[in-house]
Amino acid sequence: MNVTLTDVHRSFGKNKAVDGVSMELGPGVFGLLGPNGAGKTSLLRVLATVLPPSSGEIALLGRDPHMSAARRDIRRRLGYLPQNLGYYPSFTVVEFIEYFALLKEMPTSAVPKAVAAAVERVDLGPKAKAKLRTLSGGMLRRVGIAQAIVNNPDLLLLDEPTAGLDPEQRVQFRSLMRSLGENATVIASTHLVEDVGAACSEVALMSAGKIVFRGTPGELTARGEGHSVGDAPLERGYSAVLTEARS
Amino acid sequence: MPLPGTARALRLELKRNAVPYLLPLLAAVFYFNTLRTADGFPPVWTLRASVISDHMLFEFSAFAGGLAAWAGSREGRRKTLDLVATTSRAAWARLSIALAGTLCWLLLAFLAGVALLYGRTAFQATWGGPPLWPVFVGAAGVTVVSVIGFACGVFFPGRFTAPLVAIGTLLLYQAGMHAAQSLEPGQAAYALLSPADAPPIVDAGIYHHVPPDRAVVQVMLMAGIAVGLLGALGLAPDLRRLATARSLASVRGAFARGDSWLLRTIAVVLITCGAGMAATAVSLAGTAQPDTIAGGWEIPALHSSAVDRSLPAAQACTSLNVAGSAFQVCVHKAFSFDLKEVAAALKPVIAEIAGLPGAPVGASEVASISGGQTVMSGMAGHPPVFTFTADRVGLMFGQFLGMPDPAAWRAGFQMGLLDAFLTSQPGAGHPAGPTRSGAAQQAVENALLTAVGTSPSELGGGQMLNGRPNAATSAAISAATRRFLALSASARRAWLAAHLSALRAGTITPAQIP
Repeated sequence: MNVTLTDVHRSFGKNKAVDGVSMELGPGVFGLLGPNGAGKTSLLRVLATVLPPSSGEIALLGRDPHMSAARRDIRRRLGYLPQNLGYYPSFTVVEFIEYFALLKEMPTSAVPKAVAAAVERVDLGPKAKAKLRTLSGGMLRRVGIAQAIVNNPDLLLLDEPTAGLDPEQRVQFRSLMRSLGENATVIASTHLVEDVGAACSEVALMSAGKIVFRGTPGELTARGEGHSVGDAPLERGYSAVLTEARS
Repeated sequence: MPLPGTARALRLELKRNAVPYLLPLLAAVFYFNTLRTADGFPPVWTLRASVISDHMLFEFSAFAGGLAAWAGSREGRRKTLDLVATTSRAAWARLSIALAGTLCWLLLAFLAGVALLYGRTAFQATWGGPPLWPVFVGAAGVTVVSVIGFACGVFFPGRFTAPLVAIGTLLLYQAGMHAAQSLEPGQAAYALLSPADAPPIVDAGIYHHVPPDRAVVQVMLMAGIAVGLLGALGLAPDLRRLATARSLASVRGAFARGDSWLLRTIAVVLITCGAGMAATAVSLAGTAQPDTIAGGWEIPALHSSAVDRSLPAAQACTSLNVAGSAFQVCVHKAFSFDLKEVAAALKPVIAEIAGLPGAPVGASEVASISGGQTVMSGMAGHPPVFTFTADRVGLMFGQFLGMPDPAAWRAGFQMGLLDAFLTSQPGAGHPAGPTRSGAAQQAVENALLTAVGTSPSELGGGQMLNGRPNAATSAAISAATRRFLALSASARRAWLAAHLSALRAGTITPAQIP
């Protein structure tokens, strides 16, 4: 298993952002759904080793991130796209991705090829030498995805990866997620249930810091049968589970 | 062979650094503030090098502090803290690479400025070589301000951090300059430790070595601060998390996330070493005493007696033919560019007094500090030689920052010679200052100056008198001056030959002057 969480809690003062989450994940694309404030981003930050859990056990890629040597090893094999991507406007696309490849301590000889491959995978080849300040929001999102996948990670954490992408790019990105998920564990937090339906092999729904549903997209769809809120079957399932969790 | 990862990251930092964008502005300020000031000084190495600490560091420290703060605050300003925190390279290494990128540019710019300054001086200087300690102090100053600015940016990221650091640096520098200008023994060590300083005496480093003691403690202090802050950067992620920790669990969590304990230990060792170096520098500065040989300051624990030895005299001389006899004028080789002007200024006055009792047979420049005391123009030796100091000579060079014009400089020089001739007893064994005394002496001096084409009123008149003369005395001096000037040159000489001793003794009144 690439990710093992056992009763993980994370609090900010009195606010319980993650409240007793346990799960095990192997390779595949895992969708994390939930309303605003459900704790998705906090859970991803815990998994990204940015935040330590307040309590509970975590094993990532078979290692304990509490140990600094293990944490360093995990980070070498980790890709992370935060919800709000910060970037350096004066860097070009290639330089920004190369910078993160170097921070991830990739073998230096492998960096140029890996950067070029990442740029191509997000379809930014024509903009490779453009400065980040000149890019649109959607292109910047793709730069963020490229830096996350440049090291060919075994654990890829994506927070709202398709936000700002146009429909064509979104379709391409779903395809990319599926191909990455063949060997790695991809966890994508999103509001867009159609992304989950199209790309994820498994889905979890969070509410108030807890996982209130876990299953396949088909199973989530099934939970929405007879439920009236939502335009698409998956949305109806999402609403039904949330309504049930809140009641 | 590909570059190592650190070198590639440094190359990116160098390529995308903000410093090159501001280099034209820095170059303009450097030209107007530093280079023009240096050009106004005579081409004497020590004097020219002094602008490194009292002008160049001023502009460089403001730019360095601000730009380094801008670089240090990048992750906070651009909100990449989460993103970079998930990478495996240690935060300390990442920050150090960013700091190195900024520091390389700043030091390169600083050294280029020094090279330009020294290059111009090398073409103009007639003696000596480039002093290195001012360069070390300057480089240490740029480095420490950069590290301070960078650390401020890391710990307090924000768009206003850079300008605030730049302003703060300027204020610190000004405080140092203010303290240095009113420095007395036993005062706060800050004045001695700040690189900001007033220009040295004109002949600093010419007759005596400049003791490097003060420069050594300055470099030690700045290196200590830089090393300590570099260590603090190693703990930056931990300190940031601690600052936001609200419970014991959060504190434990903060320590559980950071770099390895080995790196943290190294960081603590660096902080300790840096603090130790800085504390040592402060305590050494507290023991500083006025240097009794060449002026300035010496620190007993660092002072080398070899520095106290006088430098071998190196003079450039020219011989004037005055009334059929030779009159030798000598200046130190470092001022040989002014030898012709000095001789030309002295020649008409020498012609007026040649052959009179106690008239000098030569003129020679001497050190302006002797035994820690200021030396003034005067007569020395037997037969007497007019001795003058470099602070008169050196003023001739350049026309910047209120330097006198050549006519005023020439008049001052001639007046110095007449002061010494009319007030000093001949045959004194060492340089002595003129005894400012009589109104009659002043009247004779004014007449002789006027006779050689110099207007005493340009110099204010009455320079030899103690205090400001009253109206009656002034009128008496003016009348005596007019009478004496109306005499023929031979009559003036005859009267002077007969009455010079009495005139020097102050027993003649203006009314007795024919």
